[in-house]
Amino acid sequence: MGVDLPRLVGARVARREDPRLLTGQGSYVDDHRPARMLYAAFLRSPHAHARIARVDASAALALPGVAAALTGEDIARAAKPVRAESKTPSVKTTSFPPLALGKVRHVGEAVAMVAAESRYLAEDAVERIVVEYEPLPVVRNTDQALDPASAVLHEDAGTNLLVAREFARGDVDGALAGAALVVRERFRFHRHTPVCMENRGCLADYATGNQTLTLRSSAQCPGLVRDILSDLLGMPEHQVRVIATDVGGGFGAKASLYPEEIATCVMARRLGRPVKWIGDRREDLLSTTHAWDEIVEAELGVNRDGTIVGLRAQVTADIGAYSIYPWTAAIEPVQTISFLPGPYRVPTYRGRTRGVATNKAPLGPYRGVGRPPAVFVIEGLMDRAARRLRIDPTEIRLRNFIRDEDFPYKSPSGIVWDRSSFTGSLVKAREVLDYESAREEQARARAAGRWLGIGVASYVELTGIGSAIPVSPGMPLSTGTEAATIRLDPAGKVTAVFGVASHGQGLETTLAQIVADEVGVPIEDVRVLHGDTEVSPYGTGTYASRSLVLAGGAAILAGRAIRDKMRLIAGHLLEADPADLTLVDGRYAVRGMPDRSVAVRQIARAAYSGARQLPKGLEPGLEATKFYDPYYGTASNATHVAVVEVDRGTCEVKTLRYVVVEDCGRMVNPLIVDGQVHGGVAQGIGAALLEEIVYDDHGQLLSGTLMDYVVPSACEIPMLEVHHLETPSPVTLGGFRGMGEGGTIGAPAAIANAVADALAPLGIEVAELPVSPERLFRLIGRAEGAKR
Amino acid sequence: MKPPKFEYHAPTTLDEAVAALGRYGGDAKVLAGGQSLMPLLNFRLARPAALVDLNRVASLAYIREQDGQVRFGAMTRQRTIEFSPVVAQHLPLLKEATRWVGHLPIRTRGTIGGSIAHADPSAEYPAVLAALEGEVVARGAKGDRVIRAADLFQTYLTTNLAPDEILTEVRLPAMPAGVGYALEEFARRHGDFAIVGIAAMVVREGQRCTMARLATAGAGPVPVRLRAAEEILERDGLGEAAIDAAARKATELVDPDADIHASADYRRHLAGVLTKRALTRAIGVARG
Repeated sequence: MGVDLPRLVGARVARREDPRLLTGQGSYVDDHRPARMLYAAFLRSPHAHARIARVDASAALALPGVAAALTGEDIARAAKPVRAESKTPSVKTTSFPPLALGKVRHVGEAVAMVAAESRYLAEDAVERIVVEYEPLPVVRNTDQALDPASAVLHEDAGTNLLVAREFARGDVDGALAGAALVVRERFRFHRHTPVCMENRGCLADYATGNQTLTLRSSAQCPGLVRDILSDLLGMPEHQVRVIATDVGGGFGAKASLYPEEIATCVMARRLGRPVKWIGDRREDLLSTTHAWDEIVEAELGVNRDGTIVGLRAQVTADIGAYSIYPWTAAIEPVQTISFLPGPYRVPTYRGRTRGVATNKAPLGPYRGVGRPPAVFVIEGLMDRAARRLRIDPTEIRLRNFIRDEDFPYKSPSGIVWDRSSFTGSLVKAREVLDYESAREEQARARAAGRWLGIGVASYVELTGIGSAIPVSPGMPLSTGTEAATIRLDPAGKVTAVFGVASHGQGLETTLAQIVADEVGVPIEDVRVLHGDTEVSPYGTGTYASRSLVLAGGAAILAGRAIRDKMRLIAGHLLEADPADLTLVDGRYAVRGMPDRSVAVRQIARAAYSGARQLPKGLEPGLEATKFYDPYYGTASNATHVAVVEVDRGTCEVKTLRYVVVEDCGRMVNPLIVDGQVHGGVAQGIGAALLEEIVYDDHGQLLSGTLMDYVVPSACEIPMLEVHHLETPSPVTLGGFRGMGEGGTIGAPAAIANAVADALAPLGIEVAELPVSPERLFRLIGRAEGAKR
Repeated sequence: MKPPKFEYHAPTTLDEAVAALGRYGGDAKVLAGGQSLMPLLNFRLARPAALVDLNRVASLAYIREQDGQVRFGAMTRQRTIEFSPVVAQHLPLLKEATRWVGHLPIRTRGTIGGSIAHADPSAEYPAVLAALEGEVVARGAKGDRVIRAADLFQTYLTTNLAPDEILTEVRLPAMPAGVGYALEEFARRHGDFAIVGIAAMVVREGQRCTMARLATAGAGPVPVRLRAAEEILERDGLGEAAIDAAARKATELVDPDADIHASADYRRHLAGVLTKRALTRAIGVARG
């Protein structure tokens, strides 16, 4: 079966969406201004914890140009409360009202909403709403929250401990008691937030004529939002349409349902007018879900040769004020403890995890979910063990990696790793860096009084998760399938429609590559549609490094169905056995008889031209919808190596080199893989060195602007040296593995280990991220003070 | 993040601008480049009744040499200063400092008068004004007034400009030929306000130092002149021991505050580190 077109899968195809996006021709929420549209603004709580005695919006309504105001009680009458249910008995379900009901639980929580003729007016009106608050004791952190004397955020839960889980394998206590060396540490991974280029925003329009609701939202999961909105608002799903075509970044933070989406729908339905809310940067930092924020107390036991005998850990996550839909408060703490053993053979394990409510913005998924802290911890422990045993940090990893003969390997928390390149990625990273030379250079630098360090981090992540495993532990929703609808029209052009949605990943390009290859047409003839529930087959959206695996798999199935049918029609038109046909130069020809051929376009036309053009009994048309479920999902892995220098005067960390050797299986588009790694590493370096959400003791957000929440710019990111291994996944169609998150997973640990390596002569360990100049100043000061 | 209502005046002459400002008795704000004021308005942290926009007052944008000074119209953009041959020749410290001011779009809009009148103690221009012992001219209803750098800055974001006065001109004495200079700054991210910055200038005759100037950014509520550190150099010369002593002295002279980026201790430490680096570099480029 010859295909003359060059194979597109594997090629560095330039992103097809970029000319549109880069010339301002995108279609983001704020690009839409339907007639009669109103602008919304939210009144947000200035208190971290308070009872609401009274809300009076009359002065706001009196302002000319103000159409309506909504309070928590108004919303409660119009929509069901959001409750992120869990099947795990030890996870407590709590309500998240779209507008605060009875009390507020974090600064920035939406309390009331105004719709007006302009955003200026809406903000003026919001200032006129009178709210009487009765302040309650502020629950500042997890220690305080777990104190029996503490105030409780959710009275119906009766406790601030909303999540508790444990994973265990073997006799870890015995193993650690008998270990040659036990290293232990209390790791602190502070609170972060993704900071998407496009703030959250939405535009709701309720058509009273046919009673349909259309919500444009800057969201990752249009299908998921459609399903839940239909439930909350009591509207059938086929009358609710959610559109999220162009979205300016999500990173997981736009994968959840947000209060503003519900409130905006309620407002639009009530007024019969389009209502738009565009969150500003202050609202984004206050109310978009935060991430990570964990304390991990961990102990690793090893033999004298560095092989692991056991790992014992307790994770405590500050999950903030609310459990978010659909992922619940369990997503971060349970993922962290699940992935803690990393790519290593860990014979005995006990991981306990807790999710604790405090008066801060809710915690949600962010690129890597749980794994950036988990990798920081396990890789930090590996380095501590290596230092104590005087084993090279790469060597101790090589001695402990799950070996080729161990796959498939079931981790202590029950995750199955398919064949991966743990050892291969580290060996290759050493090669790329020229590890021995780098160590020699470090020795010379040290002799000259410079603080130079090399940090290694290896990780494995679970991607492309199918129906066997919930994406968030305990979540009752199954998200393991995605579909593709592929249509070849009578002109021979292809439209491919997906339930996943692209918000920067380049899926319009990568999915088109797969479709073009499978159908057998040039990529110019393929149009990819996504992010609109009205046109797409059933699906949830893009999150958890799933889209290329799931939607790509569905595209393979649907594309093949189209190609097989084209072959049957071509055989009929050419009066030849379909098995004898080859596809050459856009035409199906009888093998060895190039004159007897028919063009794709003719086949397409025939498909829609009635029974006489088709083999007997063949249904007209060229359209296929296929669903794909990878069932378990597949592993992706990488090794990151950072070379850093700590400035002896300013304590600033400069990243001198950064090497990534990653394995995402068969690559559809190496250019896009590189881009995903670059963005991910930048966010990981930000997490390691710069970014931190800071609240004061009153629960006030101190990092409430981008002057204070410091995201890296291009100047802070070194040139990245990205290399690829391609171990095709044995368990997914196409051999693809997910790869959108890995950069952020590896970078914090690699940087932390490099800083600790640089400062090893001072005996400094890095147990807290971000390792800001201020923190280093104190660590170095203490170490030098101790030496004196 | 939309400002509340305000009246807006866009005069084309300085007299009109002063008159407009005077009518509000302190409840109006002068808009220059807008790089600090617009965010304050959008956050509703500043709620003036009116804005008096100087962007159409053409007579306020100039760079002139006069009486041994370089004089800048208040509305001269930072980007213009960055590329001015007059500045390159006579005020290389200002040129170097300008590279640290925000990013290109900020410098394209931002003005020298606006930056100094805003009096952010972490900004570079106030530190340069202090180091060079410059002065500013203010115009009010009663006419012009010259204010020395040492008298201008009161505390955070506060100058001794009267509510009806407009800063119209910045005067910086031309730096002597062969002078050594440097501006060292530490920020967590390129283009951010300084956590601490040090502007340094030295005039040397061999190993002797006939004049030293050191001024801070980000090390207190106003730019701080480190006079006692300067005196060490003027007394003991430009050897390593004197530099170290001056840097140590710098840490004692500053009284910084803490914020979420840096504690007072760390800022004090940085003042010493950056003083040493600035002096070392300044001495390296000094002739004589």
